[in-house]
Amino acid sequence: MSAQRRKAIGSKAERRFAALFLLPSLLLLLIFRIIPLFWGFTLSFSENGEWIGADNYVRAVGDTNFRDSIVNTLLLLATLPIWVMLPMLLAILIHQGVPGGKLYRAVYFLPAVLSSVIVGAIFNIVLRYDGSLNAALKVIGIDAVDWLGSSSTALGSLIAVQLWSTFGMSVLIFLSGLSTVPDDIVEAARIDGARFWQRLFLIVIPSLRPIIEFVAVVTTIGVLTSMFGLIYVLTGGGPGTSTTLPEFLIWLEQGRLNRPGYAAAISMFLFSMMAGVAYLQIRIMSRNANV
Amino acid sequence: MSASIQPKSADPELTLISVTKSFGGHDVIRGIDLTIEKGELVVFVGPSGCGKSTLLRMIAGLENVTSGEVTIAGKTVTDEEPYDRGIAMVFQSYALYPHMTVAENMGFALRLQRIPKEERRKAVEKAARILQIEPLLDRKPAQLSGGQRQRVAIGRAIVREPRVFLFDEPLSNLDAELRVQTRIEIARLHQSLGATMIYVTHDQTEAMTLADRIVVLRAGKVEQVGRPTDLYDDPDNTFVAGFIGSPRMNVLPGQVIAEDRVKLAGVEIAMSGLSEKLAPGEDIQIGIRPEHFMEGTGPRVDLTIEVVEQLGSTAFIHGSLGQGLPVVVEARSARPAVGDTVSVTFDADKTCLFRSTGERIR
Repeated sequence: MSAQRRKAIGSKAERRFAALFLLPSLLLLLIFRIIPLFWGFTLSFSENGEWIGADNYVRAVGDTNFRDSIVNTLLLLATLPIWVMLPMLLAILIHQGVPGGKLYRAVYFLPAVLSSVIVGAIFNIVLRYDGSLNAALKVIGIDAVDWLGSSSTALGSLIAVQLWSTFGMSVLIFLSGLSTVPDDIVEAARIDGARFWQRLFLIVIPSLRPIIEFVAVVTTIGVLTSMFGLIYVLTGGGPGTSTTLPEFLIWLEQGRLNRPGYAAAISMFLFSMMAGVAYLQIRIMSRNANV
Repeated sequence: MSASIQPKSADPELTLISVTKSFGGHDVIRGIDLTIEKGELVVFVGPSGCGKSTLLRMIAGLENVTSGEVTIAGKTVTDEEPYDRGIAMVFQSYALYPHMTVAENMGFALRLQRIPKEERRKAVEKAARILQIEPLLDRKPAQLSGGQRQRVAIGRAIVREPRVFLFDEPLSNLDAELRVQTRIEIARLHQSLGATMIYVTHDQTEAMTLADRIVVLRAGKVEQVGRPTDLYDDPDNTFVAGFIGSPRMNVLPGQVIAEDRVKLAGVEIAMSGLSEKLAPGEDIQIGIRPEHFMEGTGPRVDLTIEVVEQLGSTAFIHGSLGQGLPVVVEARSARPAVGDTVSVTFDADKTCLFRSTGERIR
């Protein structure tokens, strides 16, 4: 970074005026984000008001619940390609002008406006052992599965429900991205001899790279921080710890077991992960600024 | 009028036979017949919305042909995909693939044809050498200027060694100086490659300077086809007369007073060399190019000078003849002054007569 001082923009009076506008949001940021962050950081070194050093962190590393929540998070992140590819392919089909494209777009987006509690309530009915999914499977001769009650299927079911309820937004983002891919580069590729799939994979999808990266980052943040409601309503983190994610564990430790120091230590782990993702997001955004 | 004047050849490179195009019941191309010879540079010119780009895209295969036939090198390609037509196209917006380097852009068609990498590299380097863009081969399009991007787009077309090059207003996004420079380069390229080229523009100067033949289009129809000088000297109608040439030809109202005499701004003009007999009393239009005033010893009319555009080597006078007929007159040697009324001659042999409907009287 250059050591040269950045040239001030505008007159002194303008800068004072700008500061006045910035002040409320800076105050809010300070009161509700920065101070709690530092407060939480200090809290993570104490328990029941007593300073215990890094014990909470050491305990977290050895805690199977916490380790399981991290494994579950990694499993969740391993499904990221589906979270990105599925909406992208659907957006491409809609953009290609499949019949009823506008209807599909609306239908895909509809779940995005439902609260996670409502989504959870709907899928409780669909996925329970005597629910409609098993009834439908029975028709085609497949045995009933305890989707939410079995540790081998619960996380997958949870991921599928969250995907269903949020991918519509990604479809919209991809659709807007597709509208920025100039028609003439696709036509140039047609003249150059590219068949449909070649145009898709060699021209359209590479042109969407900034959008793909954006969706990937936003989705990662979403799945790491916005699944609490769904877990609470659908599985309560179980069976066992099979659907426990760090944010749910934080709530358990803080809200149920009254261990704010330990909850704060887990929060710091989650914060570090999120900071990493946020850093990645800023890098990607600034790299793509000129694309 | 649907047909057009065109050379007859036993082995044309491209032919259009009664080609039409409709969008939702609206005819945008209305029965065009055209033959283009091997190695010719033909320019489609016309105002916005005349269908010139649509016609080019139909030749490229990017637009379906509603009816009629397109052949390239004797093969009917009307329903063929663009890549099976042996054409390459240079777009107005360059249409470079933003995620590929210049070399990858230029070699993309060869990559799709599974040409070995080494062969591809040689072809790209050869084209880059012709266009003097070798130092740019590793750059991405975003790192290039407008002129460089246009060269890359042309290079991408050259690499494919097509039978026919199609240019869709390739200079429109360039500044004035670069436009002139690139225009000369395209002309040079045409000479060195000896390739058949079809070039679309709305700029009549580009058409005049580049074309072996110009096709003037209006409202989806061919108005006239011919060499640039033929169109300039001998237009078929007032549209072509007005479109080709800058400043445009003065088309002034006149009247036939005898089989070989017409009247303009109160002055009688004897017309020689007409094969058609004029009908006395008929209202006609008389076309005089700005540079044909102030030359010869022909008829003399009074010109009131209103505005003078002084260009140094020449000047364009905007004024009025007789009872206020607006005209543009080129004055090469004179130094006209605004407000003066001067008596100017014009060469009657170089005037063009048109019927009131716009058709030429020859």
